[in-house]
Amino acid sequence: MSSASLDRGFRRSRSRPPGQKPAVTGARRNPLRFWPQYMAVSPFFLLFAAFGLFPLVFSAWLAFHRWDGISPVTFAGFDQFRFLLADATFRKAVVNTIIIWIMATVPMLFMSLGLASMLNSVKRFKTFYQVVLFLPSVTSIVAVVIFFKAIFDNQVGVVNQVLEAVGLSGVQWLNGYWTIKIVLAVIMTWQWVGYNAIIYYAGLQAISGEVYEAAKIDGAGVLRTFWSITVPLLRPVIIFTVVVSTIGGMQTFAEPQVLFGSNASINPNSGGPGQAGLTMVLYFYQQAFNNNNYGYGAAIAYGVFAIVAVFTLINWRITARAEK
Amino acid sequence: MNLSRRNLLLGSGLAALGAGALSACSTSAGGSGGSGGGSSSGLALWYWNGGLSDKVVEASKTQFPKDDIKPNKVGGDFKQKLQTTLTGGSFIPQITGVKGEDMPFFRSVADKFTDLNEFGAKDIAATQLAWKWAEAQTSDGKQLGFPIDIGPTATFYRADILEQAGLTSDPTAVAAATTTWDDYYAFGQELHGKVPASFPVPSLATVFQIIVGQLSNRFVSKDNTFTGGSDEMKQAWDTTVKAQALGINANAGQNLGPALAAGTIAMDLGAAWHALDISDAAPETKGKWRIANNPVKPTNFGGSFLTIPSATKDKQAAFDVIKWILSTDNQGQAFTDATIFPADPAAWKLPALTGGDEFFGGQKTIDIFGPAGEKVPEQYVAASDSAVSAAFYNELTNVEANGKNPDQAWTDAVAAAKDIASRQGVK
Repeated sequence: MSSASLDRGFRRSRSRPPGQKPAVTGARRNPLRFWPQYMAVSPFFLLFAAFGLFPLVFSAWLAFHRWDGISPVTFAGFDQFRFLLADATFRKAVVNTIIIWIMATVPMLFMSLGLASMLNSVKRFKTFYQVVLFLPSVTSIVAVVIFFKAIFDNQVGVVNQVLEAVGLSGVQWLNGYWTIKIVLAVIMTWQWVGYNAIIYYAGLQAISGEVYEAAKIDGAGVLRTFWSITVPLLRPVIIFTVVVSTIGGMQTFAEPQVLFGSNASINPNSGGPGQAGLTMVLYFYQQAFNNNNYGYGAAIAYGVFAIVAVFTLINWRITARAEK
Repeated sequence: MNLSRRNLLLGSGLAALGAGALSACSTSAGGSGGSGGGSSSGLALWYWNGGLSDKVVEASKTQFPKDDIKPNKVGGDFKQKLQTTLTGGSFIPQITGVKGEDMPFFRSVADKFTDLNEFGAKDIAATQLAWKWAEAQTSDGKQLGFPIDIGPTATFYRADILEQAGLTSDPTAVAAATTTWDDYYAFGQELHGKVPASFPVPSLATVFQIIVGQLSNRFVSKDNTFTGGSDEMKQAWDTTVKAQALGINANAGQNLGPALAAGTIAMDLGAAWHALDISDAAPETKGKWRIANNPVKPTNFGGSFLTIPSATKDKQAAFDVIKWILSTDNQGQAFTDATIFPADPAAWKLPALTGGDEFFGGQKTIDIFGPAGEKVPEQYVAASDSAVSAAFYNELTNVEANGKNPDQAWTDAVAAAKDIASRQGVK
């Protein structure tokens, strides 16, 4: 293949002058001529078709059927969605997910911003701190949760031992409605606070030092500089982290699954005492894979999709307003 | 950020860490992966870690050299992988284990499995436990599974703590003092009164699953109707939540291990294999535990099967292998190797089982579990049973962890269970 033909293919994909009819060229009639280019982009599309598009379409189809995963599939119409709208457990899972997401995301992003500012002013061992901050986000989630489960153990956990050492009474962390959510939020915060701090740090570095210098000359203090310069100039980065945290937080699964999944064969993946740790995706998993109710599982998955879409829409509105 | 060599090194280091974390997630699924695929040659045998004695499986290769047995210890969610493989229709193993709790589900798709009665299973079953073989029988009499092991239940208790409370610690006397649930609770109140840090009930779910095992009907009856709201179920519920009202529930569902080690749980209820949970969680309590008959009558938790998928070509050969792996002597060997409690009563008389267990102070545990295994009542378990039961277990945690009113919890549990049952196609 010559570089000339590559150029030609490239240029043709650009917009042609307005009002001109598309010229039917030989190349257009025979897309096979561009097979090297198609080959080059194909890995993504093939993987997406197998692991993205097919499950998407298949689960949409499943949501209108009954299937236990092995017997013949039967048509169910809108039954699964009717179940979903009337299902108190699903509503419980939605509320749990939103509470855990808020408890994890809001304090985490503030802490990340603080850590990023600190990292920005550090003079020595900067790389070391960056690695330390990044490490939790690449640690196996199962190991992290097992570790935190031991720390927050109702009886012998380190947290309770510290509380008792300073004269307070221990807390049944893994039993209560709110304490379970706190433990989950702490795990998620620990894992992602450094990751977001690194992103903020990259954003901070893009802010020119001259702006800060000018502020200093104008007599702005540390706090004023932070709120009037750092935060507004970081806004695109902050919005990015909020969107990513929202999509991630709405799909919380592994944390409650591992935290309460160990004593299995009776009532597996129920989200702990009072189902306080039952998130939307965990509920979907339980219905599909423990109860062999794949049709209903698919309907829940589309319920999750709708809720994430609503939140993304809200995010998008806020972003659009900020850019006006 | 400029791409300096230092940053590049840092980046690739982090990438390597990430890759390590990813691969760490998948190692459990490996096993001897691939070796036991399902190719037309050889006899693939699927089981899970601890499901069969590895030594017996290894010996079966030399016992049946012509069959070319390819054992595959499948990790992760076994039921899920078997289900997917049977649905996919290729690489189906010639012999596969099925866990006791998954048997009701696989029994609902009986045409995926072979009727072992065609190969003489009936004659073997005649001398064995009828209730266990019935678990793997369809309503029209097909025998889908050959039992590997059983899980007869009993009361486990700390002899030292009972003595500390001035109570008897002799297994026969403890059993005699706890023949009904009311007796058990009274005994437990005395224990908790004298030793306030110790409890006779680990969690409400522990009691409930035994009482439900003693009922005539579970949550879904044989004709596929919802029985979770029946009078006997309400009685089972009331008996269970009474432990909470009496203040003798340790509520240790989320921290069983530490509670066992610390002596918070002085009495426990569970199947024969629960002994392993206790010795793993609290090895330093060795010699202090004893076993006695649990209140009312024994029940059964778990206990697996070997099955032959209907796709298997040489079914007779597969059945011969199963018969050998689960012969009386090899079941005794499996108990020695992996504490797999034999489903064949003849194996209980082998020296491997009749010896004393040091963890239980030298008590001959077979004297309790053997007769218990004989007395387990036959009970129908529907494929939807565990899904429907979840509603009750959820509400029990609400009662013990959040102080919910037990009557309200019962009403909510029945309502939620009915919803689940109707989704599962139960009338």
